[in-house]
Amino acid sequence: MPNDMNIERSRAGQQAQTVRVKPKWHMTVLHIVYYLIMICFLIFYMLPFWGTVMTSFKTNSEVMTTTPITPPTQWTLEGYASAMEELGVPLLTSLFVTLFGAAGSVFLGSICAYALSKWKFKFNNVFFIALVAATYLPFQAILIPLLQTISALDLYDNIWGLVLVHTVFGMPMCTVMMRGYYADIPDALIRQAMIDGNGMWAIYRKIVLPNTMIATITVFVFQCTSIWNEMLFALVLGGYDSKPATIALNELAGTMAAEFNVQMAGSLILALPVLVLYIFMGKYLISGQMSGAVTAS
Amino acid sequence: MASITIKDMSVSYNKGKSFVLDNLSLDIKNGEFCVFLGPSGCGKSTAMHCIAGLLHPMSGEIRFGEEVMTSANRKGRDKTFVPPQERNIAMVFQEYALYPNMTVRENMSFALKTKKVAKEEIAKRVDYMAKMLSIEQLMDRRPAELSGGQRQRVALGRALVRDPQVFLLDEPLGNLDAKLRDQVRYELKKIQEQLGITTIYVTHDQTEAMTMADHIVLLKDGHIMQQGTPEEMYDHPANEFVAGFLGTPQINIFFCEVKGNILDAGSFKLNIPEHLRTCLVPYAGKKINLGIRPSDLELAKDKMDVIKGHVESIEPLGDAYLIYVRVGEQIVVFKYTGEHAPKEKELLLTPNMAKLHLFDALTEKRINR
Ligand SMILES: Nc1ncnc2c1ncn2[C@@H]1O[C@H](COP(=O)(O)OP(=O)(O)O)[C@@H](O)[C@H]1O
Ligand SMILES: [Mg+2]
Repeated sequence: MPNDMNIERSRAGQQAQTVRVKPKWHMTVLHIVYYLIMICFLIFYMLPFWGTVMTSFKTNSEVMTTTPITPPTQWTLEGYASAMEELGVPLLTSLFVTLFGAAGSVFLGSICAYALSKWKFKFNNVFFIALVAATYLPFQAILIPLLQTISALDLYDNIWGLVLVHTVFGMPMCTVMMRGYYADIPDALIRQAMIDGNGMWAIYRKIVLPNTMIATITVFVFQCTSIWNEMLFALVLGGYDSKPATIALNELAGTMAAEFNVQMAGSLILALPVLVLYIFMGKYLISGQMSGAVTAS
Repeated sequence: MASITIKDMSVSYNKGKSFVLDNLSLDIKNGEFCVFLGPSGCGKSTAMHCIAGLLHPMSGEIRFGEEVMTSANRKGRDKTFVPPQERNIAMVFQEYALYPNMTVRENMSFALKTKKVAKEEIAKRVDYMAKMLSIEQLMDRRPAELSGGQRQRVALGRALVRDPQVFLLDEPLGNLDAKLRDQVRYELKKIQEQLGITTIYVTHDQTEAMTMADHIVLLKDGHIMQQGTPEEMYDHPANEFVAGFLGTPQINIFFCEVKGNILDAGSFKLNIPEHLRTCLVPYAGKKINLGIRPSDLELAKDKMDVIKGHVESIEPLGDAYLIYVRVGEQIVVFKYTGEHAPKEKELLLTPNMAKLHLFDALTEKRINR
């Protein structure tokens, strides 16, 4: 008898799990409305991008005669070729400045963040507050003294001048971001490494860096994007020979007023690296690296 | 290998407003297995971190052998301070602290690699210790893939492969299940005896302390309550706290009055035995606390010095019975080692007169020697 009851009960349980509630009619309507709204937004956001892509593949004469959103009747890479002529060198400049600037600021920021999050020293809070304040500094406010300093250093119109400026101004943001990641490293781990015979820098190299690789990559990607897209320093300090791609693109728009296909191709070329970076790095931007280190996790 | 001397060490986490350890002085002999025992929060880990050099005491001195490791004056400034990485200690943290980016083997080899020990030597030691702790099949896993007990054994192994001056173990068996704990406890004690390395072992578990220690230091609120061998502390607890902390089940405490040659607990009276009379002279007519361990009670054979009680419940332990007896208002535990549990509801118990513990009612200090 009790056995039967068990069977009965488990059957009821199974049914309860598999039964689907049939949606009420007004819920269905509501869902349709939601989807319509979302599709409208999607079109609204994607239309300019669509127009850009379509225009970039048209010939110059077709740009004149059709609306931007109609697909080209004759697909061509003409626009890209012309854009690359103008943007080739600036793109290399941008790449160089971005890689070195991001690497420099991430490296310095990482060391600062390590010291600030894992070691106590005099005035450490003052340092940190100063760094946070620096991230809020409007760059326009210091543009003129900065230009003077860079000129005095003979780094105007020089790639290294841009690298230096991006390293210095990126550093506070990197520090603030990485301090958050480093704070998640359990103190016991640092202590254990000390007991195991390592000094401050050995711990940084052997424990902190390997365990926060993903954080470092994240911050590096972030820095790369912002330096790649940056215009203000590029415009003021770049001069003519070391002109980054953002400025070159802007000049493209200014000088060749009618050649929309070239401009659009240039925009896409400039946007492509950042897009690719985000698509491929997306999966790394997850946490959970420290699991297994200490009791609580 | 070294002895450890701590002199007048005070530690504060808030710049001297309150002290977690207050004027602690301690001598640990070379090769000794010393256990810091005490309730949670009494400052055991703090003391250990000071010895490791992870914490700076406000004042006091720590020496390994003749060498001064930490020495601070009253103002909290260090006169001498050897950083932890130069102290040559091995430590197991309460929270294990395994390196998540390394496999078990890499974790265990890490300290030796840092010290630039030869590769073959490292492999030999790591393999030996892995076998001792039965974690050989885990060597290529990472900490995240281990259970709590396995992590703890890895942490222990990582410390034991070293050849340090001092082992510091902070509750290293806390997360093992009972069976494994007994086994690892035995292995650990054996390894320590073999290596002969001075060891400090922190625990709140009195059984661990009693079974492993050469020397127990019992702490409470940052003060040493008593230190000595397990036997000394069990047989001659210096105060009521020590008596209550060591031994399971806990010692029974009765509030008594000394009336001439009689100890009057209200619900029963005992004749004061010959050897206790002199020390009780100053307490004539006053209150004292009488401690009797559950194993020092037995069924009475005659009517002399009996404690009469009503059986409340019986817990069989396998080889003995714990009998909970109501005496007056109080529940008394009695450990009965006979074959069968007594059937009567009313029991007459008599204490082993040689093993009575007498404490001052006010100071809780021990009266008899
Ligand atoms: N980092 C800290 N900051 C402030 N107080 C602390 C810190 N660590 C421990 N304490 C306090 O010091 C006391 C002793 O702690 P601890 O040595 O960890 O005790 P135990 O290891 O004996 O359980 C506790 O009251 C605890 O709250
Ligand atoms: Mg502790």
